[in-house]
Amino acid sequence: MQLFQDLVLEIQRGESLAIIGRSGAGKSTLLSLLAGLDTPTEGRILFDGQPLDTLDDAARAQLRLQQISFIFQSFHLLPELDALDNVRLPLEIQGRADADAQARHWLEQVGLGARLDHYPAQLSGGEQQRVAIARAFATEPKILFADEPTGNLDDDTGHQIIEQLFRLNADVGTTLVLITHDTDLAARCQRRLHLHNGRLEEVSA
Amino acid sequence: MSLLTRLAGRQLLSQLRTTEWRALLLASWIAIALTTLLAVLGDRLERGLLRESAALLGADLVLSSSRPIAPDRLQGLPLDRLEQTQVIQFPSMVGQGDNLMLVSVRALQAPYPLRGELTTAPAGSGIPAPGEVWAEARVLTQLEMSLGDTLEFGYQPLNLSRELLGSPDRGTGFRSFSPHILVNAEDLEASGVLAPGSRANYRILFAGPAEAISALNTALQPTLADYERVHALSKDQPLTGNALGNALSYLKLSALIALLLSALTIVLALRRFSLGQHTRSALLLNLGLRPGQLIRVYLYQLLLAWLLTATAGVLTGFVLELAVYQWLAELLPQALPAAHWLRWFSGAALGLALLVLLGLPPILQLARIPVAHLLRGDAPPRDRTALILQATSLLLLAATLLAFLEAPLAALGLLLFLLLGGALFGWVAQAGLQLCARPLAKRLLLGRLLLMRLRQQRQWHRLQAAVVVMLLTLLSVVWISRSDLIEQWQAQFPQDTPNYFLINIQPWQKEGVDEFFAGRQLETELYPMIRGRLTELNAEPIKPQLTPEQQDHNTLRRELNLSWMAERPEHNPLVAGEWWQPGDTGAISIEQEMAQELGLELGDTLGFDVGGVRVEGEIRNIREVVWTSFRPNFYIIFNPEALQNAPATWITSFHLEPEQRAVSRELLQQFPSLTLIDIDQVLNQLAGWLQRLGDSSALILALSLGCGLMLLGVTLLQALEQRRFESALLQTLGVTADQARRLDLLEFLLIGLVCGVLASAGAEAVLAMLHQWLLQIPPRLHLGLWLSLPPLAALIFLLIGWMIRRPLKLEHCYRLLRAG
Repeated sequence: MQLFQDLVLEIQRGESLAIIGRSGAGKSTLLSLLAGLDTPTEGRILFDGQPLDTLDDAARAQLRLQQISFIFQSFHLLPELDALDNVRLPLEIQGRADADAQARHWLEQVGLGARLDHYPAQLSGGEQQRVAIARAFATEPKILFADEPTGNLDDDTGHQIIEQLFRLNADVGTTLVLITHDTDLAARCQRRLHLHNGRLEEVSA
Repeated sequence: MSLLTRLAGRQLLSQLRTTEWRALLLASWIAIALTTLLAVLGDRLERGLLRESAALLGADLVLSSSRPIAPDRLQGLPLDRLEQTQVIQFPSMVGQGDNLMLVSVRALQAPYPLRGELTTAPAGSGIPAPGEVWAEARVLTQLEMSLGDTLEFGYQPLNLSRELLGSPDRGTGFRSFSPHILVNAEDLEASGVLAPGSRANYRILFAGPAEAISALNTALQPTLADYERVHALSKDQPLTGNALGNALSYLKLSALIALLLSALTIVLALRRFSLGQHTRSALLLNLGLRPGQLIRVYLYQLLLAWLLTATAGVLTGFVLELAVYQWLAELLPQALPAAHWLRWFSGAALGLALLVLLGLPPILQLARIPVAHLLRGDAPPRDRTALILQATSLLLLAATLLAFLEAPLAALGLLLFLLLGGALFGWVAQAGLQLCARPLAKRLLLGRLLLMRLRQQRQWHRLQAAVVVMLLTLLSVVWISRSDLIEQWQAQFPQDTPNYFLINIQPWQKEGVDEFFAGRQLETELYPMIRGRLTELNAEPIKPQLTPEQQDHNTLRRELNLSWMAERPEHNPLVAGEWWQPGDTGAISIEQEMAQELGLELGDTLGFDVGGVRVEGEIRNIREVVWTSFRPNFYIIFNPEALQNAPATWITSFHLEPEQRAVSRELLQQFPSLTLIDIDQVLNQLAGWLQRLGDSSALILALSLGCGLMLLGVTLLQALEQRRFESALLQTLGVTADQARRLDLLEFLLIGLVCGVLASAGAEAVLAMLHQWLLQIPPRLHLGLWLSLPPLAALIFLLIGWMIRRPLKLEHCYRLLRAG
């Protein structure tokens, strides 16, 4: 089965980009290909000029560790770790000595400075997603993939989360790739791409 | 086949691929196999050896006495319509050439037995003719004899004419387990093996109509002397205080551990299974299936699972029973009868109870799931009905298990011990894990995560550690003690510790025996031995002056062996008072523990009944006695003047090197009426029993370990399932699949090592206690234990973890995280 056809996409550093499309169009598969979690059977993906398919598992893990972050629809915090430890986790995996200070800094950035020792179960959905955002930005990635980041949140909370996401994106200069159904959210991105029948079409503003 | 049955069958088939159902099936398989083994073996042992039945007594009523029964003993008793015969049973050394062995001899008169029958090869009827002997297989093997050979029985050579395969009336206690030979009573006198004062059991067997037996029993009871007993067949009940009966209870109790572990495995597996069935049940109910029908679908599924495991379990039980019976056969006095056919199914019945009682609560809960679960994910209500249901099932199950074990108090005690021990080990193991992981956490990439995980998993870790540590501890103790204990115990004795006891030396033989030993440069000392009963303390009857526990003291329940001597025995140091001077009549010496336990002090006067004559003496000193010195030792020693004229036999012990064994043969040739007891042979027999009992118990514990591993599997599965998200997330965060796997395995390795170390410590502690209190020798370290258990336990955890852990491919990580 062929999922994508004639798919050519170039993303610039610091750009924000939304991929929209109906369910089952292949948005998530596209995202996992872009992030190097999956390998295409044909074609290639280059990151900073380097083809991902030439990297072995360890090198790709290293790439994710240093350059890429994710935000998921269902947050995916580890339930046994408190907010601070959840954010500290990727920093510790990087082996950073300032893991603790960095984690505190980023939790303060998302407004959770007072809830460092709260466990996910003690946080609301919005707060959990903010912890996830802090975790994503803490490693100062070059590119951030967000998959329906507001899908599990009510409108108001979703709105606040979006504000925070774009603010941080602007502050840090991270490239942001969003998958969403939400047209308002998509409208805030610099570029919008519609995935349909395996083809990507640029949608003009 | 109805749709419901088909659905149940399909469900089971698809579930067979899940780890929880595999664990459930294996756990109930082991439980059924074990209970089948024990039910069948237990029934055979009971029928063959433990139940006081006519076929085992060889009569309807037996009068048994430790003294010869006078010809007029039965005068005035109602003997109408009763058949009777006499038997004398005693230990004796018999042999051929240089081979000697201690056997239990029964001297018979026809007719014998009055009930049941003697089975022999070649088959035949009656009793051995004069000049003939029938012997059990163990005698033939040990003395390397075959039919037609001559057996030396005192002065009388006997022709070995038949092998004895089975016989009733084996007597009670240890003698019933010695190898037996049957001889004709007419040969007894010529053999010279039985002299006045010899240790023998004299019996009269009676058989006849029930009312005549009952009348005799009633008439006999008031005339019984304290050296006489009546064994009447009042009810078909197990013999009490029998070593074999205790061994069987011990094996059954070891099985309790396996049963509890399988029950726990089944509970956890079913809980996991039912959690995964919520949507399916809601869907089936939504499609119009009635709750009753839904319950039936799941019940059918359980029944199918039971059919599968019951078939496999009964077959496995059959094989295990064959194996264990083979182990025990050479030690058992005779072949066992087949078990009652129903016993073959008691394991399967217990398995059914296990599955249905544990399965019903979750199944009934499934039938209560709201259809709205499909929309909102509602769970079934957790209310009082659910709780009551669960509690009732557990109670019923507990009752079933206790009924199977037939020793509710011991089982409850063991249960309590397991719970407390498990809780303690679980807690210590968890603390130990934290302790080991903390320094690691600082050095390892994912160390912090490991620490967090240990905290999050602490409930499961406690359960896993408790189960594994307890099982490994018990298994090691049983394994080591089965051979180690006796070896250790024997090793403590000096090289020249006596290994033969010689008893029944008559006064007129004393000089000859002394000369015999002197002529062979063997140092021995002969001690007089007089039987007497302790009756008075300070000129008043002793019993009313004692507490009920003291009244039950070993020294008050039977006739004591008393002695007299002028000098203190060298091997009995004094702990209080002084030894008497010549001519100090009325002085006695008492053994330390007896004095302590009965509260007797220096200056107390004790009165004894010695063959109807009252003898008394004042306690002048208290002696320490090391009973394991294998020298003649006595609770009470008199001054010579007090007992010199009482009827005495003499006793001694001596040491023979293996190459001097001919001496024992010469001794018996010269003095056939002496009873020579070869301590090495007795100890070997005991060691054989301990080893076989240990083997059987280790087998049961190994199967319990199997159940424990299933339980471990189910709990690890639970943990690993939770961890799939964690592992997926870690990989998207930049951890390689290898690193994620190493983290899991490190956790298993750590918990395994901690469990192994704890189990080694636990086993050492138990063995040390056994050494200290049972054998009274200093404990020693078992280095092998410390070297083997930790790696073994780590291997167990690693292997199970490795088998259950499904590697998560990178491309699945993202899909898994999206789905969640």
